[in-house]
Amino acid sequence: MQPFSGLRGDAASPAFPFGLAAEGVHEIAERAYGDAGAAAGFALSALARSRPGVWLWIRQRDLVLDLGRVTGLGASAFGLDPARFLFVETGTPVDTLIAAEEGIRSGAVSTVIAEVGEASFTATRRLILASETGGTPALLLLPHTREGATAAQARWRVSPAPSSPNLFDARAPGSPRWRARLERCRAAPGEAGRDFDLEFDDETLCLRLVSGLADGPAAPRPARPAALLPFRRAG
Amino acid sequence: MAAANGVAKWLGVTPGLRFADARSRAPDVQAEPVDRAADARALEALALWATRWTPLAMVDGMDALRLDITGCARLFGGEGHLLSDIGERLSAGGITARIGAGPTPGAAWALARHGAGRVTVCRAGQEVSEALTDLPVSGLRLDEAAERLLRRFGLTRIGQLYDIDRTALARRFSSKEAVSAVRFRLDQALGLYPEPLNPIRTPPDYAPRQSFVEPLISGDGLTAALDTLTEQLCELLERDGRGARDFTLTAFRADGSAASVSLSTARPVRDRAHILRLFRDRIEQIDPGFGIDLVELSAGRTGPLETDARPLSRDLAADPVDPVALSALADRLTARLGAGTVRIARPEASHDPSRAEALAVYDGALEDWTDTRSVPRSDRPARMLDQPEAVEVLAEVPDGPPLRFVWRRVPRRVKRADGPERIAPEWWRTFDSEARARDYYRIEDEEGRRYWVFREGLYQDGRGGLPRWYVHALFS
Repeated sequence: MQPFSGLRGDAASPAFPFGLAAEGVHEIAERAYGDAGAAAGFALSALARSRPGVWLWIRQRDLVLDLGRVTGLGASAFGLDPARFLFVETGTPVDTLIAAEEGIRSGAVSTVIAEVGEASFTATRRLILASETGGTPALLLLPHTREGATAAQARWRVSPAPSSPNLFDARAPGSPRWRARLERCRAAPGEAGRDFDLEFDDETLCLRLVSGLADGPAAPRPARPAALLPFRRAG
Repeated sequence: MAAANGVAKWLGVTPGLRFADARSRAPDVQAEPVDRAADARALEALALWATRWTPLAMVDGMDALRLDITGCARLFGGEGHLLSDIGERLSAGGITARIGAGPTPGAAWALARHGAGRVTVCRAGQEVSEALTDLPVSGLRLDEAAERLLRRFGLTRIGQLYDIDRTALARRFSSKEAVSAVRFRLDQALGLYPEPLNPIRTPPDYAPRQSFVEPLISGDGLTAALDTLTEQLCELLERDGRGARDFTLTAFRADGSAASVSLSTARPVRDRAHILRLFRDRIEQIDPGFGIDLVELSAGRTGPLETDARPLSRDLAADPVDPVALSALADRLTARLGAGTVRIARPEASHDPSRAEALAVYDGALEDWTDTRSVPRSDRPARMLDQPEAVEVLAEVPDGPPLRFVWRRVPRRVKRADGPERIAPEWWRTFDSEARARDYYRIEDEEGRRYWVFREGLYQDGRGGLPRWYVHALFS
């Protein structure tokens, strides 16, 4: 299966997504307050491609109380098995980073996801070293206040974008779309600063790049055979 | 006057005396308020320390400890040695104590308080009734009224009660409670009626210990002791093919106090390195104080531990999840962050989205989600708020989606909306007849943020006032 399809023109980057959830430590930050939903969606769609195993999801309590928590049912919308999540709640950023490092070093989980309020350069460096020794990748979900230096492989800045056209109901939202800016990238420094317009297809469960989203309405997707139209899945 | 020591008694100061009277007998007496709660805490700490002699120790009333030394005397070289050890260590800790030992708790109580010496023992081969016969009736743990009645009949010694016909005794008492109390306490003291002991902590299944002639005063010595004890414990567990889930390291200090750290694991373990690692950060919590002379590592909640062959490499494993490594990770996180921090999501049989799943403490087994009723996957949001947040909404009446709303002080204009998905209240769970149905909408604002909002109630549903709007979740 080709996980990323529908690339068009120069939006295509063969290296995308630069080792996200596959190796090393990557940061995913909100662009503005309230974009945590999009950031979580981006992280969850990246997890779908990660090694099989258990995902350790560490969350800092104050962030979760403010912007909600990722649920098993929410994860299953991304094709992930909710039974494969181990959730840890922590009180402070320090505890969160300690727990993340413990998870990375243990080798018992396939990926570590940490929702953390802040992480210093030293802290990210520690995580990188742990990840390089143990081989367990980690994702840091950070709030919009995230700035400054980092030792992480890459930093993504994620914001939501108007969703794709809904084939069945023009007034309803369609598949979620995000705009992810690659702020820093160690693997491909030339790509840094580039914007990727992404769409998660909830039927084929794959993430793909789309284009033409920023300036105007998105190009409609090819129509389906008419025979399929009456069977709209109802809630 | 709450209590009196030997000197006070010699001066004629007894408990229950008014302070003015006490001062008249001993002019230089100083007053301190009584803190019963602190006394109780100190006695409880002492009971914990007393577990060095037996796992079954409890606090008895306000001024006594009860230890069940059945089978323990052998370890200390006999009952006499055990009792003198108790006496010595207590007095070394600055505690004056009277000790009584008998075959029943009641007998021991009476002997401790009214025995001839500081240590009184009901000797082996001696009948309980014989040992108690000369003690006063106040050794029977009676209330004041019953005791006074007995004295009024001239019954001052416990031995005098043996021969009295029970029914005759009952006839003399005016109150039924008093007579049944006397009979009950007498039967307890003589062992005719059982008296269970409620230990201060659950007796462990395994408890290797190490004592030191020279008390430890540094943390290094304690770490070394933990190392030795863990090895012993793991040998014991391995011999029996078991693993344990609760571990407690107790350090008994020479001055009559004890400190302990406990930890639990998600599944039975007997891996020495793992146990040591869990204790590593917490051993610092033990303050050696004036010196530790006994260290005990106890293991509880043991269970059979099957040794299955581990796959040679991860690629060969049928399941990519290694439960042993996973629960070891959970143990380490729990030891550092506190009990109950590692959780799994568990499906619940409920169509209410805020109740559709619960977080349960991870106990070594992952939940199985395959059986759950399949929910349309793309309809559930990525982030659920713990509590729905009330929002101000401009919406079409009666059942249109929101057009504009204010969430967290920012006005947002809705571009697209999908719904409603009506979720009725669970009438079998709530007895609130005012519970209202919820109409959920997926909406998207100008910036592309997607929310899950609901209108609680319908217009003119006859339940309360106008419907209200809430934001319940954020979509990805």
